[in-house]
Amino acid sequence: MENSSMARKGRNLKWLVQCAALAAGLLALPASAHATNNCPWINEATVSGLLGADATGTATGEGAGQPGVCTFVAQREGATHTLRLAVEIVPDPHARVGELAHLCASGTAVLPAIGNEAVVCENDKKGALGERVVGRVRDQVFNITIASTQKHDPLLDRSALKTRIAIAAEQVSGNLF
Amino acid sequence: MKEYKAILLLICALTASGAAAGMAQQPPMQPATGSTPPPPPPPPYTPPAKGAPPAVDTPAQRDALAAWEARAIKKSEDDRAAHNAAVTPAYNFHYGKGNPYTPGNIQVVGKGFIQPGAFPTAEYCGVCHQEAYSQWRQALHSNAFRTPFYRTSVNLLIRDKTRGIAFARFCDSCHNPIGVLAGALTEDSKVDRARFDADGLTCMTCHSVLKLDSTNGNAGVEMGVPAVIVDEKGNRIPGQVSFDQILRHPERHSQAVMRDLMHTPEFCAACHKANLPAPLNDYKFIRAFTAYDEWQQSKFSQRNPLTFYTADFTTCQGCHMKRNPISLPDYGAKNGTLVSHRWLAGNTAVPFYYGFTEQLDKTIAFLRAGNFLNVDIFGLKKADSDQLIAPLGSTAYGLAPNDTVEAYVVVQNKNIGHSLIPEVRDLYEAWVEFTVKDANGKEIYHSGFLKPDGMLDPRAHSFTNRPVTNEGAFVDNHKVWTIHSVAYDNTVPAGRSVLVRYQFRMPAEATGAVTVTAKVNYRHLRQSYLNNIFGKDHPAYPVVEIASRSRVLKVGENNPEAADPSDNADWMRWNNLGIALLDQLQYQESINAFTEVIKVRPQYADAYTNVGLTNIVWEKYDSARTAIRKALSIDPNSARALYYDGLLQRRAGNTEQEIADFSKVVEMFPQSRDARRELGITYYQQNNNTAAMEQFEALQKIDPDDLTAHYNLSILYRRMGKPEEAKEQQAMFVDKKVDPGAPTYGLNFLRAHPEISTESIPWHMHSDIDNKAGGPQNGK
Repeated sequence: MENSSMARKGRNLKWLVQCAALAAGLLALPASAHATNNCPWINEATVSGLLGADATGTATGEGAGQPGVCTFVAQREGATHTLRLAVEIVPDPHARVGELAHLCASGTAVLPAIGNEAVVCENDKKGALGERVVGRVRDQVFNITIASTQKHDPLLDRSALKTRIAIAAEQVSGNLF
Repeated sequence: MKEYKAILLLICALTASGAAAGMAQQPPMQPATGSTPPPPPPPPYTPPAKGAPPAVDTPAQRDALAAWEARAIKKSEDDRAAHNAAVTPAYNFHYGKGNPYTPGNIQVVGKGFIQPGAFPTAEYCGVCHQEAYSQWRQALHSNAFRTPFYRTSVNLLIRDKTRGIAFARFCDSCHNPIGVLAGALTEDSKVDRARFDADGLTCMTCHSVLKLDSTNGNAGVEMGVPAVIVDEKGNRIPGQVSFDQILRHPERHSQAVMRDLMHTPEFCAACHKANLPAPLNDYKFIRAFTAYDEWQQSKFSQRNPLTFYTADFTTCQGCHMKRNPISLPDYGAKNGTLVSHRWLAGNTAVPFYYGFTEQLDKTIAFLRAGNFLNVDIFGLKKADSDQLIAPLGSTAYGLAPNDTVEAYVVVQNKNIGHSLIPEVRDLYEAWVEFTVKDANGKEIYHSGFLKPDGMLDPRAHSFTNRPVTNEGAFVDNHKVWTIHSVAYDNTVPAGRSVLVRYQFRMPAEATGAVTVTAKVNYRHLRQSYLNNIFGKDHPAYPVVEIASRSRVLKVGENNPEAADPSDNADWMRWNNLGIALLDQLQYQESINAFTEVIKVRPQYADAYTNVGLTNIVWEKYDSARTAIRKALSIDPNSARALYYDGLLQRRAGNTEQEIADFSKVVEMFPQSRDARRELGITYYQQNNNTAAMEQFEALQKIDPDDLTAHYNLSILYRRMGKPEEAKEQQAMFVDKKVDPGAPTYGLNFLRAHPEISTESIPWHMHSDIDNKAGGPQNGK
């Protein structure tokens, strides 16, 4: 009886440990997917929506002539989706927007009603698709890129990239106002 | 063992539903601009014939709907539980676990935060309501959150070192209710904001409101779990359903999304009335804006017997949601028309910024078309003469070369159902631009011009206010939580008028003439606020001329001339002058003006009442009695005259007649806050506690912030053995009464700003002419 009871207790304990481990694992999923937000201009949950998968982000603050940078990465069906943004305060922000727009692979188009001014352009690199938005809110210049490592990404095709970077730009510029 | 398995299953279920919730929360992925391509045609639909009974479901259809309903409820609950599991642990319950949305008053049915995916998207609604969708997309409601004009303001609150994002729930409860209810407004937000930020007040925010929480404003609503259809018993089915379900049962769709309360002004009051509560400003209750109360006190509500003029009953919706022909398919249209979902009003800045030209054009047309204001160059006074030459156009007069002339410009808030300017009047700008030009078009005098940097002439007569901090600094950037007082408020209440005086000199030539023009201009927003948002390098925002009037004044004889079609009749012109002078504390002149009304319309009872009112304010009670008696002899049922008679009877000690007067007014106008208040005071003075309480309680239902009601009820409840209620009323009185130290903050501001301090003086003049002391005669 005692052995049987101990065995039952042991099985219960094993179940408990398994459950706890599973529960911890399951509960940890959202926590790892949306860890503490450090990026002041857009949160991980929003970027996850834009990139189509749980994104993890890193952020470095602005300082000593260096822009603040947030980088978010998400993996989805063999593709790596990235959203990167940088924000800097400069004395001649309009000129700086022009400078950064020169990073574009092709010509720029005005992105209306984003910040004081903003332009959008294609930003493809080595077979990967990308879009870039450069704009400003007062003297704060932002530079956002969104990209997929797959050239024929079913989720982030050219049209989706354009739409999603516009949403990202509105989020970022809104938080800069 | 079973418990462990149950826990495990629950965790698995929560995780799975969390994934479902995550899918449900995918953003619409359409940038919210005006260039969104038009949606495909709506599904085919033939509306039922008028009076036709609703479709009867077959048993199979009933079963299918029941199954759908069960799945929808389960999904909604599971998604919500998962959402709460993700959001709650990191949420900043700054005001306690039980107050997740404080300082806003918004509430939602059910437990905890609600997932953004619970709200059917505007695009979904827009499939069948294309006209409403296209209007809404350009309107203020859809852009309530995302605009730079709002974000700059709310970001200041979020970045404030002693406050933060939790405090922004106060603003976002109206500007971004899904964000608030979803628990997105916290430092470490776990919510995908792309889902709702760009849609502000989306269809299913307004169309999910089930209940209004009195008329306290600050988003005082209870929202239901969004549903676009009810079952045959009227139970709400959460979430989106297939269009064929809706088209088969439009009556059930209507039951889910339309409620009678949506047609009431109280519905609008939920967000178009706001106060700054102590939890926000760490100070005290301060009334922020009261568009609803202003409407209630206007002639359009027919609830106030004391208005100077009368009008047909018109709600907020009556002006701002007019029915118009549709140009896109919309199954909500009736006879080819739909109530406007543009909510046209005064905001030109948002459509200007977003390039919504249709909204901008219609807004400008709205501002100009409503006969909202009347501008009257009413009279002239020559220097060293007290004679008022008036009304111009109806009287002959002569002017000599070099005459120094004072022009009386009367601006009447004629048909706005609220004040000019309403709401956040520290942000908007309406002012009088007054010009005097000689025969060659050369400017002799100009007040109310815009400077090259876009700033308004500081000495312009502006219908604005100046909120100040406890250090007397102007709150230029809408940091409302720092407002402690108002240095002055030059807005014009609904139905009232203001007199603006300008002094200038006629030309020296014997045959000279001048053209005098007075315009009321409107700009959304003040230039310095635009500069706060964008810096100084932004395009000029539209200035809209709402109303104007010109007159030619000749050196020599001026004869009467035909009136403009937009001119008021002479009796009304005198009446408006009388009202303006009364508000500027010029009692004798006011009585003189009202007496001119009597000359033109001797049987117009209100003219005598106006004389009586002015005498009451002037504390000339015998003269007031004579005038009020005359008014009542013409119109014994004039509620307005009876009200003032009640005041005079009180003064004379005729309590029975006082009660009879006020009772009759209350009977005719049960929602008259003034009559309820005075009748309550009368009963209180008679120690009739029950009757007094009844009046003050009724008054509180009309105006929950009435100080007299709070004060008297605190005493009456104590007398009646209700200590808790008494305590509550006392606390509200203490919180809402004016801080006796606050006026000094305004004075500090005025001392530091002599260039505009005269605007705080009711009786002042605008002039560039140097007086003997060498300065302009502002404040003469």
